[in-house]
Amino acid sequence: MSNKMVRRQLCDGVYWNAITDAKFKANRISCNLILPLDAETVTDTAVVPFLLRRRFRDCPDFTRLNERLCELYGASLDADVRKHGAYQILNLSIQTLDDRYTMDGELLTNKCAELAAGLLLDPYFVDGVFDEQDFELERRSLVDTIESEINDKRSYAISRCQSVLFEGEPFAIKKYGTKERAEAMTRQSATEAYHRAVRDAAVEILFIGCGDGEGAAKIFADRFSRLKRSPIAHREASTKAKAERVTEKTDRMDVSQSKLVMGFRIGELESQEEKNAAKLMAALYGGTPFSRLFLNVREKYSLCYYCAARLDKATGTMLVDSGVEAANKQKAQDEILNQLDVVRNGEFTDEELDNTILALTSALGSVTDTLGGMEGWYLDQILSGSSQSPEENARQISSLTREQVMEAAGKVTLDTVYFLTSREENAHESN
Amino acid sequence: MNLTEIRSQRLGDRYYRYQHSSGLTMLLCPKPEFSSAYALFGAEVGSIDTTFKTSKDGDFVTVPAGIAHYLEHKLFESEDGDAFARYAKTGASANAYTSFDKTCYLFSCSENFKESIEILLDFVTHPYFTEETVRKEQGIIGQEIKMYDDNPDWRVLFNLLEALYQNNPVRVDIAGTVESIAQIDADLLYRCYNTFYNLNNMVLAVAGNFEIDTVIEAADRILKPAENLSIEAKVPDEPREVGEHRVEIKLPVAMPMFNIGFKELPGSKRENALGQVLDEILLEIIAGEASPLYRRLYDAGLINSTFGTESFTGRDYCAALFSGESRDPDRVYEELCAEIERIQREGVDAAAFARCKKAIYGRYIRMLSYVDDIASAMLQAHFSNFELYELLDVIADCEIETLNARLRDNFAREYSALSVVAPA
Repeated sequence: MSNKMVRRQLCDGVYWNAITDAKFKANRISCNLILPLDAETVTDTAVVPFLLRRRFRDCPDFTRLNERLCELYGASLDADVRKHGAYQILNLSIQTLDDRYTMDGELLTNKCAELAAGLLLDPYFVDGVFDEQDFELERRSLVDTIESEINDKRSYAISRCQSVLFEGEPFAIKKYGTKERAEAMTRQSATEAYHRAVRDAAVEILFIGCGDGEGAAKIFADRFSRLKRSPIAHREASTKAKAERVTEKTDRMDVSQSKLVMGFRIGELESQEEKNAAKLMAALYGGTPFSRLFLNVREKYSLCYYCAARLDKATGTMLVDSGVEAANKQKAQDEILNQLDVVRNGEFTDEELDNTILALTSALGSVTDTLGGMEGWYLDQILSGSSQSPEENARQISSLTREQVMEAAGKVTLDTVYFLTSREENAHESN
Repeated sequence: MNLTEIRSQRLGDRYYRYQHSSGLTMLLCPKPEFSSAYALFGAEVGSIDTTFKTSKDGDFVTVPAGIAHYLEHKLFESEDGDAFARYAKTGASANAYTSFDKTCYLFSCSENFKESIEILLDFVTHPYFTEETVRKEQGIIGQEIKMYDDNPDWRVLFNLLEALYQNNPVRVDIAGTVESIAQIDADLLYRCYNTFYNLNNMVLAVAGNFEIDTVIEAADRILKPAENLSIEAKVPDEPREVGEHRVEIKLPVAMPMFNIGFKELPGSKRENALGQVLDEILLEIIAGEASPLYRRLYDAGLINSTFGTESFTGRDYCAALFSGESRDPDRVYEELCAEIERIQREGVDAAAFARCKKAIYGRYIRMLSYVDDIASAMLQAHFSNFELYELLDVIADCEIETLNARLRDNFAREYSALSVVAPA
């Protein structure tokens, strides 16, 4: 059960990362094209994975492609855009049953690799550009996706807070880009974005599952080595050390519950130890059902159903978010800050600290039990220039001290207070 | 130890059933190759159980909507602190959920399994409510309800259920309303608890890295034999007819969202649960990504990648759902009904049948490689009176005629409804 990642370069800037474990019944191949977030190109690049998902040269029909996925025992094929720090990541993943479990001994793994490599590197072009109907549909769909951000009020509030918090920094660029650009782009510009992506991206392919990935690795090595590439080098984006002032922002919408999101800066986390301490601090503060925020904002004062803190190491920030009655906003905000002081001043018990460490190490122990958990973990490692296993990370976290947690909390400064509330003008604000 | 082994020839997998002397049924699937274990302790009570009595009670009691969910929240508290505080000492990640027809308490852990299973068995079997602790929860659950009020996915579904069902409590929100939960007090919670949290009607499902003996020994220490009472729940008569064919509300969303439902004829629990996988094959044939309908709607810009299907079944209800976002949900509804009528006339295409059957088979096997999914599936199978691996046989042995008959009997425009959440 070591689940070590074996990493090797297939060709220029294309890496193959294999983690195999016989306990699974499926295999997952996840292709990640990593590019710097760039306001100029982000939207055109964002439409690319959705266009690739439509068809490719060997299978130029969308319905036929989906039929093939059914024949591969319901293989799931997902295309999407991810964001990590100041990177935009184009992801194409395919996952299906291992060859051992098919009804008549079919070999699925290599077929899935062929399919994914074909979709990624051999697109269906008409006169050298994406098909017009495909492009129109996916461009429209991207506009819809950008606009539908308001549907989920919790994530919308978080996103709004981040926009204010990161103003002027590359982190402020959204992974799908802007509606304006999505409406203005052309199939030529999207095609250029595609060529740029396969040429410039750092490519990380993860193979996770119970099968033998060697055949799949060869397929990708062969396809990528036919390309001329000039991959970008990894670089960590610099983050602001602390907030200069507190920015307050309120939006109004027809909602029955208000959302309070507080954005804090923690600054550059240079060593692994600093990252670990910040992670432990955020968990003790608001990451478990026995954390400071849960026990006080929710249980003691009954102000909310959720109040949680999450750390984003890549941007050196921490967000606290909660759903509250508008009338209770100030009360919740004061208590959230009060609990941060408690952590800073070390007014927590040794038992709280030990229990939080235990919660983190126990959770790290389950990471290796799902394909998705392993993909998330190892991609995060790769992007932060590490190759630690969850087990190693758990060992390091176990040795952290109360002083390190206090020190991490000491670096935290409040930057942004974002509030999404109802239109009932000032009905509750006098409280 | 009297363990019954349940094996799957297809997978080479197995799990065990153990009847504990307390009355509790245990379903145990040890998988030492995994690092973590996942345990679920479930009672067969959900939001639809609003009128009930035991064989000991004289009269039926009707309780406020949302009580099963309220009870789930309150069970976490005991005289000496709450369950989360106890789990904190073991490192387990604990939670609970209430659905329409069951309530489950769960934890996942990769260390201290013995201590965590003891906590689970102990707190669920030791209720402790006072008027004060019950009152305190109203603020928290009130915020949970309001959170769902703002959730368009949730609203579009419940509006559909309200349209499809005229009397069945499946049409009411699982958490109840701010008004209904205000009527809940400690006495009602105890009445509900004493009816449904009887070990003879509960099940413990565990999968992953653990020893069978550890679970049985913990149960021996903690569980007291329960009186074998039968439960009577009054299920309101539900006509085949839907209440309304179209409902619409406005919320702050970018594009109209829709849920379309076909109300099916419910059968026994077992028939509903096994019928669910047949419906999943059927839904894949009708509107899966490889279907002609999906292609037509997608190319016409009438649906986007949020489109999906679901077989929605439970103890005494059964429906097929189609959901997504569209500029013209009424057109989607029309096209869908027309396509269903076409397949009813022409019969299911043989190639599509073979393909979709394979796809669903693959999905179920993939699910059976995760400890949390295994535990949930064992529990669900038990409550629905079948053995987990029967699912794979039902899929593999499914014949095209079975699906044609299902489609003919259950999918009618007459018994369908459209729910829309339009931009405010």
